Amino acid sequence: MKHFTRLALAGALAAATAGASMAQELYAPNLAYRTGPFAATGIPLMNGQADYLAMLNARDGGIGGVMINGEECETGYSTEKGVECYEKTKGKAIVTQPWSTGITLQVLPKTNVDNIPILAPGYGFSPMMDGKTFQWAFNTPSGYWDAADMIIQYLEGQGSLDGKTIAFLHLDHPYGKEPIPVLEQLAEQKGFELNPIPVGLKEMQNQSAQWLQIRRMRPDYVVMWGWGAMNAGAITEAVKTKFPMENFLGVWWAGHDADLRIVGEDGKGYKSISWSYPNMDAPVMKDVQQYVIDAGKSKTDETEMTGVFYSRGIVISAILAEGIRAAQAEFGTPEINAEQLRWGLENINMTEARIEELGLTGMVPPFQTSCANHTGHSGGWMLEWDGEKFVKVSDLLTPNVEAYQALAEEKAKEYAEANAPWPVNEDCDAM
Amino acid sequence: MLYRTAGQFKTSYEADQALFPVKQDAFLLGFILVLAWVIFPLTASEFTFQTLLIPILIYSLAALGLNILTGYAGQLSLGTAAFMGVGAYACYKMITIMPWMNPIIAILLSGVFSAGVGVAFGIPSLRIKGFYLAIATLAAQFFLVWLFEKWAWLYNYNASGAIQVPNLDIFGLYVSGPQADSIVQYYLVLFIVCLLTWVCINLTRGNLGRTWKATRDMDIAAELIGINLMKSKLTAFAISSYIVGVAGALFVFMWRGAAEPNLFDIPLSFRILFIAIIGGLGSILGNYLGAILIVGLPVVLNLVPEALGIPLSSSMVEHLNFMIVGGLIVFFLIVEPHGLAQLWRLLREKLILWPFPY
Repeated sequence: MKHFTRLALAGALAAATAGASMAQELYAPNLAYRTGPFAATGIPLMNGQADYLAMLNARDGGIGGVMINGEECETGYSTEKGVECYEKTKGKAIVTQPWSTGITLQVLPKTNVDNIPILAPGYGFSPMMDGKTFQWAFNTPSGYWDAADMIIQYLEGQGSLDGKTIAFLHLDHPYGKEPIPVLEQLAEQKGFELNPIPVGLKEMQNQSAQWLQIRRMRPDYVVMWGWGAMNAGAITEAVKTKFPMENFLGVWWAGHDADLRIVGEDGKGYKSISWSYPNMDAPVMKDVQQYVIDAGKSKTDETEMTGVFYSRGIVISAILAEGIRAAQAEFGTPEINAEQLRWGLENINMTEARIEELGLTGMVPPFQTSCANHTGHSGGWMLEWDGEKFVKVSDLLTPNVEAYQALAEEKAKEYAEANAPWPVNEDCDAM
Repeated sequence: MLYRTAGQFKTSYEADQALFPVKQDAFLLGFILVLAWVIFPLTASEFTFQTLLIPILIYSLAALGLNILTGYAGQLSLGTAAFMGVGAYACYKMITIMPWMNPIIAILLSGVFSAGVGVAFGIPSLRIKGFYLAIATLAAQFFLVWLFEKWAWLYNYNASGAIQVPNLDIFGLYVSGPQADSIVQYYLVLFIVCLLTWVCINLTRGNLGRTWKATRDMDIAAELIGINLMKSKLTAFAISSYIVGVAGALFVFMWRGAAEPNLFDIPLSFRILFIAIIGGLGSILGNYLGAILIVGLPVVLNLVPEALGIPLSSSMVEHLNFMIVGGLIVFFLIVEPHGLAQLWRLLREKLILWPFPY
């Protein structure tokens, strides 16, 4: 009996200390997708995110002295599982990272009630840039409308677009339709003809019909908003139909090394706009190598690590960490809550010097957020596939946000009205 | 012992034909109803409501609708998800055109639209049977999902092409949208599911149900004894699609909160068909058992390793989950090809005799 009580006591003690140590961490769950149809793109992103956080924990003992727990909850990119994960984690989470557009759509209205910031770096509903309306949503450092604007800017740099035709090959899904309003606006301004070509979810792997249409149309450029299997499908199809690769451009999610490696040399010239770049010489990559990979704590491998998506995962976690640091400094406590993190994410200032300091040299462009600007509009670089890897082929492109600021505000207002009562941030007076 | 029927005498034909010829069945149902109406709402957390209780009820209702058509009337359908979509989009349009409308009425009315569409796609069933009919309903599946994508009026010309549920209230109490409390949504879903289940039990035991069963078992014989096959098949399509449409409206309005057209694509149809098959075709109870197995079990299994303190990565758990649930489906279908409802029926027979079987 005595033995039993001692055991029970020890158990209780262990539970108590475990409980205490639970409190001593920042819980930043990630709704990961390492399974399911999009796993090929999910794995490098998740590995990058996890490895950066693991590196911070190993090198600095977390952020501000508190360990950060980036626990993954597997969604397989399914909306249903995503909501399950959101409900499971929201109790103690300081942030939610929904990853799929479908999950973002579900979670976005709920965050206003649950008061948890959504971090959706480079994806989701573009009008989320209006921070006054979307108090809890962040799509730093750049949104889809920025991407559309930068791609057109880059093409304009190659010569006037007046009278040219651009085929817009996109996934027939909320994600693929996202940039259409801005592209239409630009088409009117610059005088080019925009031809949207949707690819149904079921046709992702077999796009012969779409590429036949492209061959008939003879567009000057093809801009692609693809995801998952659609990218590989489009790229192989473009190679097959001998479409000049240098006139084929994609958004950042259509710039996955593995998709291009399938065609190798034939894919030379394909471009993708990106707000992240795999700079293997950056100090942070060395730290990740030293503290995480050499310590055997990573699931990544050599080839994956040099890819665009892995480094994008690193950048995403770095943005989150920067938001946490800002909040910790403002509120004077290392253990911040969700509301404080929102303030932090609204006050990220990634200057050139700060990027240098974080060791992210050349991996992310500088940007700054505010309570009114939840995107940051960092801009990005045009990356080009050289047959083996992606290389930068442009200087930093910055989006011309003023052109669609009004549009974003209008769409945000529409959203708020459709979802009334929708509390907006009244205190925010920044522009 | 537990299910002793000794001493329960029937003195009239009515008593013999009653829904619960054995008293214990009524007690059991009463217990389940108390559980659903009182115990669960008092104890459940937000997570339980959102991932277990509400979805299981909604999926059960959708499977019930399919079961009327496939299990009772014998018409195989692969278009369930599309009919759910019709219900959801109809409800969305009604709510946005007439914002003053009571959401419960809107949900119940939305089934009427899917019933109409269901009947239209059911007309080929008068000429084609079995697998060929399945292909015809597959056409409904593809056509309707395509329509949800292309007909912008359906989603109010929203740029993203998705529908989003607004905050709706009944006398100041939010019932849908992000402002709604889970418990309110749960009660509303439970009310509609109970109501429709009650209707279905009565329908299937009545005249209409008998005509359906006759059609299912042998349509030529049914026709020879004077059953109007057209009426029998089309009422099955109408009632089935009505229930499926209501389930679709609940699916989006009471649970998901937003929907893209591809949500109503074929995987959802298959999922509901699996629930109906594993639960048991031609049974009401089976839909609930099937939904618990297919919808509820994976959620519970996901929690097990963490609760036991086993350090497994989330993706590993997910993979294990697929294997376990898949294995269980195979296991149950081998043990009892007629579904979980039949398994319960056999168990009940054994319980009545237990502990002295002959």
